[in-house]
Amino acid sequence: MSVLLNPGIWDGKPVVPDDCDVRVIVATNHFDDAIGNATAIASKSKAWILGNEQTIEKAKSQGGKPWLLHILRPEEVYQIPGLKLVPYSLQRADPKSGEKSQNLGLYLEMSGMKVAYLGDTVVRGAFGKIEADVMIVPVGDGEVFAVKDAVSLCIDAKPRIGIPIRWTAPEQSAKFRKYLEQFASGTVAILMEPKQVLEIQWAAGNEFRYKVS
Amino acid sequence: MSTQAGEISMSERKNVIIDLEESEKNRFGELSEIESAEATGVMTVKNVSAQARIWNVRVNLGDSRSGTTIKDSTLSAGEVEAGGEWSTKYGITIDGPILTLTETYDTCSSITAESPHWAYVHGKENPVRITLHLKNETDGQIDNIIVNKTIPPELTKVKVDSAKSGTAKFDEGTRQVVWKDFVIYPKEESTLTLSGLAHVDDVSEKNAGEVVISYKSQGQQRSCLDPDMTALTEFLSGIETAETEPNHWECTLECSNETDLIVRLDKAVVFLTPEGGGEKKKMVEVAPRVEMKPGETWRSSFEVDSKAPPKCTPDVVYTPVRVVKRRVLGTATKVPQILPVCQITYAKSFDPSEVSSLDKTPVEVTIDIKNSGSARLDQIEVEDSLPDDVMPPKKEHVTVSVAGKEYTGTYGVTITPDDQNPETPHKVRIKISGMRDSMGELKPGDSLKVSYAIMAWRNRPEKEYPSPIHCWAYTHPAGFAAEAVSTPFAHKLGVVYRKRRIAAKKAISKGSKAGEYVITLVVENKGEVTVENVKLVDWIPSGFTYVSTDPREDEPKRNPAKDGTDMVWTWARMNPSDKKSLRIVVKGEGEYQRREPEVASD
Repeated sequence: MSVLLNPGIWDGKPVVPDDCDVRVIVATNHFDDAIGNATAIASKSKAWILGNEQTIEKAKSQGGKPWLLHILRPEEVYQIPGLKLVPYSLQRADPKSGEKSQNLGLYLEMSGMKVAYLGDTVVRGAFGKIEADVMIVPVGDGEVFAVKDAVSLCIDAKPRIGIPIRWTAPEQSAKFRKYLEQFASGTVAILMEPKQVLEIQWAAGNEFRYKVS
Repeated sequence: MSTQAGEISMSERKNVIIDLEESEKNRFGELSEIESAEATGVMTVKNVSAQARIWNVRVNLGDSRSGTTIKDSTLSAGEVEAGGEWSTKYGITIDGPILTLTETYDTCSSITAESPHWAYVHGKENPVRITLHLKNETDGQIDNIIVNKTIPPELTKVKVDSAKSGTAKFDEGTRQVVWKDFVIYPKEESTLTLSGLAHVDDVSEKNAGEVVISYKSQGQQRSCLDPDMTALTEFLSGIETAETEPNHWECTLECSNETDLIVRLDKAVVFLTPEGGGEKKKMVEVAPRVEMKPGETWRSSFEVDSKAPPKCTPDVVYTPVRVVKRRVLGTATKVPQILPVCQITYAKSFDPSEVSSLDKTPVEVTIDIKNSGSARLDQIEVEDSLPDDVMPPKKEHVTVSVAGKEYTGTYGVTITPDDQNPETPHKVRIKISGMRDSMGELKPGDSLKVSYAIMAWRNRPEKEYPSPIHCWAYTHPAGFAAEAVSTPFAHKLGVVYRKRRIAAKKAISKGSKAGEYVITLVVENKGEVTVENVKLVDWIPSGFTYVSTDPREDEPKRNPAKDGTDMVWTWARMNPSDKKSLRIVVKGEGEYQRREPEVASD
C-alpha cells in the first residue's frame, strides 16, 4: 500500500513528479500547496484521490476522473485493504485572505503503525488525545501551527516520533526538534530531508524500531 | 738592623685611606620581581696626614677590575696634599641587590588560598593584608634600614599587625608606614605585616602604593675591587760612614719617617763603589716590610775596609701604609602593584517575553553576564529561580558561550529539584569554573552567556511569575565574590490574558424509531486560548435510557442522577476554534424534557 499525502505545488512547481506510482492520494484541503498535482499523478497511476468536498470539487475541475475521487467526511472511517484512514475536521488559514478554511487532519493505520498527519492546520482538534506512533505536524506559523503549538501537541499526544513539516524558515524545524528533545519525554524529533526515507516497524511485534536513510 | 720609635695606639695610627663607597639602586616590579639593579662606586684616596703630602700616588687594581668600568689596572692619583683626597667613579655590573624585598598584597585575607588575592571586589569591605618581607642576601650585616610603604587611599582601619624586628608606625597624615630601627644579620630575614579594610566605589584599577627602602652595609662592596697603593712622602734616608779602625769603616743606612703617617719600608739596598773603580758592589739588600710609625727610624749597617771613606749609594723603596674601607649604600623602590576591581552586571531576557495564558509555550531564557569590572574572571556562578507553572530545562540543554563562541570548558549544572515537573518551582544553578585553564579568563568588557529553554506551562493570567536571579563572579584564586542580584520579584514572565469562551449547544429531535430521540450536542472553543480538562454534562430524564453516541469513541460516562442520568464527557484540551459534535441516541417513553448542557474547563 502506498499513500501520498498533500503532493502540493510550491513556488509554482510540483513537489512530486506526475509519474509517481501510488495507490491513494489524500489532500487535506483544496489549496494548491495541498492538492498540488494530485490529478495529474492520479491520471497516470490510477490512484484514488481523497479529500473533503472542496478538494474533490477542485480535483474534478482539474479533470480528475470521477471514479477515482472520494469525498472524506470528518470522522467517517475510510478503509481499504492495508489502510484505515479517519479524517478529522481541522482548520487552516487561507493563504490570501487569512480566513479560516477546513483542513482535514488524518489518522492512518498501515501495517500496525498509527500515523497522525495534521496537514495544514492551526488547530489540533482531536489530535491532542490521539494515540499515534508517528505524528506529522506543521510548524510554519501563520497559515498553520506555530512551533510552540506543534511542540505542545507532541507533549500532550506523546507520539514516538514527531516530524515537522511546512516550515518557512530553517529555525522553525530546528526549534521543533530542540524543544521536543527538551520537553517531550519519549518523543524523538526527526527532521526529514527531501527524498529521505523513514522506515518504521514493530520488531517481534512489540518493539518499535525506526531507521532514517 | 734596628728600629726606634714610641708606641702609638691604633686610634692614633694614621693610614692613607682607600675608600670604596658603592651604591646600588634597585627596582622591584609589581610582584616583587627584580626589574633592574644598578650599582656605581666612588674610589677615594684620602690623605689623612695633617702635615705630609703624598705624591706619585698609584692605585693598583690588578685583576680585580672585572665587572667594573675601570679600564686600567693602575690608576695614577698624582699628588695629594695633607688632608686632601683624590677620587674616581666607576660603574659596576650586578645581578641583584644585597637586600631583597617581597611584598604580598592580599585583597582577601580572610580566605586562605594558595596565592594572594589580587583584585578588590566592588562594593564590599575587602580585608587587606600587606606583608613586607626583607632578606639579607649577603654574609654581612645590613643596617640603617628604613622602609616606607605608601598606603592607598581606599584602605581604612590600617594597623601594624606585627613587625619581626624594629618599629613600624602608620602616619594617617602622610599615609605612610615607616619601618625602621633594625638590622638584618647575614642571611637573615625580617617581616612586617599590616592590615586594613578597602572599599572601592568604582571599577578603575587601583594603585596599591609604592615601597621605598634605604639601607647600608659596612664592610661590604658590590665590585670585586681589591686596591693597593704606592706613594712617596716625606721619608729621609742616608748613609753614615764612620772609621772604627784605621782604614776600616762602619757604614750605616738610616731611614726616618718624617711624617705623621705610617710608612712601610719595603726594600733597602746599598751599593758600594770600589776604591779602584769598577762595578758597584751590593752591600745590603733587605726587604724588611716594616711599618714605621711617625718619627721612627730604621737602620742597617755593614763594615768595609777602605783607605778613603767608602762611597755608598742607597736605594730605598717605601710607601705610606693604606687601609681599605668599604661600604654599600642601597636604595630600592618597589613599583606599586596594580589592583583591578571585580564587578559583574547581568541581563536576563525571555523570548518571547510574554506567553498566552493557559497555553504551553517554549521560552528561550538568556542570561548575559558582563565583566563590568577591571579584573579578569575565572569563575562565574548563576542561580536562576524558576517559578511554578514552568517546566525547567534538562541539565544537558543548558549552554554557555563566550563572545559568541560555545564555551568548551567544563561547567556544572544542577537543577533542584532534579525533575521537569512544571507544578513546582525550580532552581537552575550553573557553575562555570576554571576558565583560566580552558578558554582563558573572562576579560573586562567581555560577556558570558547562559542559554536554555523552559516551557511555560498553562500559566494563569491572574498570577505573577517572577524569576529572580543571583550571579557570582570570582577571580583566581577565589576570594570574595562579586555579586549581581535581582530583587525577589524581578524578571516576571509576562502572561497575556486570552479570553476563554466555550459554548455548548443542544438540539433534540425525534429518532427513526418509536420512543427514540436524537440529542445533538456541539461544544466549541470560541475563545482565544486553549482550554483544558473540558467537561460537558448533559442530562437524560428518568424514563429514558442511553442507546449510542456518534462518534462511538466519544461515548460518555453515565452517572445516576436524582431524576435521571448524567452523561459526562471530558476532553483534555481544546484549541481555539476546536469543535466537538456529538450525536446521542436515547430511548424511552414520554416527553423528553430539555435541560441545558453544562460545560466547564480549566
